[in-house]
Amino acid sequence: MEKTWNNKAWFMVLPVLVLVAFSAVIPLMTVVNYSVQDTFGNNEFFWAGTDWFTDVLESDRFWDALTRNLIFSAIILAIEIPLGILIALNMPKKGLGVPFCLVFMSLPLLIPWNVVGTIWQVFGRVDIGLLGYTLAALGIPYNYVNNVFDAWITLIVMDIWHWTSLVVLLCYAGLVSIPDAYYQAASIDGASRWAVFRYIQLPKMKRVLLIAFLLRFMDSFMIYTEPFVVTGGGPGNATTFLSIDLVKTAIGQFDLGPAAALSIIYFLIILLLSWIFYTVMTNSDAEN
Amino acid sequence: MAAVSQRPNRWPVALVIVLAVYAAIAGLLVSVLPVKDGVRDWFAPLVRGGWMAWTFPTAMFFLTIFLLLALMAVWEYARPGGNPRVGILRFETTRGDRLFISLLGSAFINLAWLGLVGTGQWWALALSLVYAFGVFKLV
Repeated sequence: MEKTWNNKAWFMVLPVLVLVAFSAVIPLMTVVNYSVQDTFGNNEFFWAGTDWFTDVLESDRFWDALTRNLIFSAIILAIEIPLGILIALNMPKKGLGVPFCLVFMSLPLLIPWNVVGTIWQVFGRVDIGLLGYTLAALGIPYNYVNNVFDAWITLIVMDIWHWTSLVVLLCYAGLVSIPDAYYQAASIDGASRWAVFRYIQLPKMKRVLLIAFLLRFMDSFMIYTEPFVVTGGGPGNATTFLSIDLVKTAIGQFDLGPAAALSIIYFLIILLLSWIFYTVMTNSDAEN
Repeated sequence: MAAVSQRPNRWPVALVIVLAVYAAIAGLLVSVLPVKDGVRDWFAPLVRGGWMAWTFPTAMFFLTIFLLLALMAVWEYARPGGNPRVGILRFETTRGDRLFISLLGSAFINLAWLGLVGTGQWWALALSLVYAFGVFKLV
């Protein structure tokens, strides 16, 4: 049998390549260029070599922000993934409840990030916010403005409120795609609820969970708008994540060189962790 | 498959073209470098006042990345065999995966060298080459 070889199809991806070049590659190149130079504005640049990278790697500010970021991502992944699975498992699969639940679950995802931040900033205020005022009325000391623990709790609860829906919807999509025959076979075998979850539902949800895990990790690791609006990185630097630190350096201080070096290190960390997660999860999937 | 075997494999031509383009662009970059008192300023902006702030080292960095991608294409054309294989890390990798692992690992080797040693970055580059060779051989 003769196989037709035609590489002209590669030209079909040219528009995408051009789009990616303008949206990702050219900005990335510019950041690399800035990371090895110093500037005082007016597009005048002076060679700085690897100085900015050394400065960033030796600064406590960078390591502290990175640690906060990792802790934040670990906490929200540890809560949102199991909670998302739990809610998806308990959502109705048939009837009028389905559209109601799907719309209800989608609502937080439709709200712009800065609006989410504003909602929670007002919600948590002790003087006028429903949450802050109620807690104060109950005698519970809560103030996210000057208490580190309260600021963290507020950000974590806000992120869970905003993004668990995404995990729920992805898991739900995985669950409804499981044919009834699996459940019937499990029922005939007398499988327990746990066994059905462990050996049917969880394996079938694995692919969507991989997507949910990666999306939530990357999003939480790059989180900026919501904590910036709610706490502004405070109290002190308690909620200053890498992205907030980056913006402070680049726009607040106009230190484009150090900001570019920080951006590249930040990008490499996200790339490495995402690749590790993806490889580990797809590899275990292939083994199964 | 008969059609495939009848096609002459002219990979040396492709290799020469890729290397010639690389050399030509590198030569062009050298030619636009500013000369001060008869000495080339290797670290001066290539385009004065340009917002992308290109310099010779950064331009060569990206040019070399593109060269590596082109060489991967030539390699695949010369000896098709980029199918996944399982190496010492116990998961499947293609040639492209191994290039990605090499580049990502090299970036971290260079960062670690900067943070821990601080000087002699060329040693980090040499270490990265050894690491990349190991990745392509074993992973």
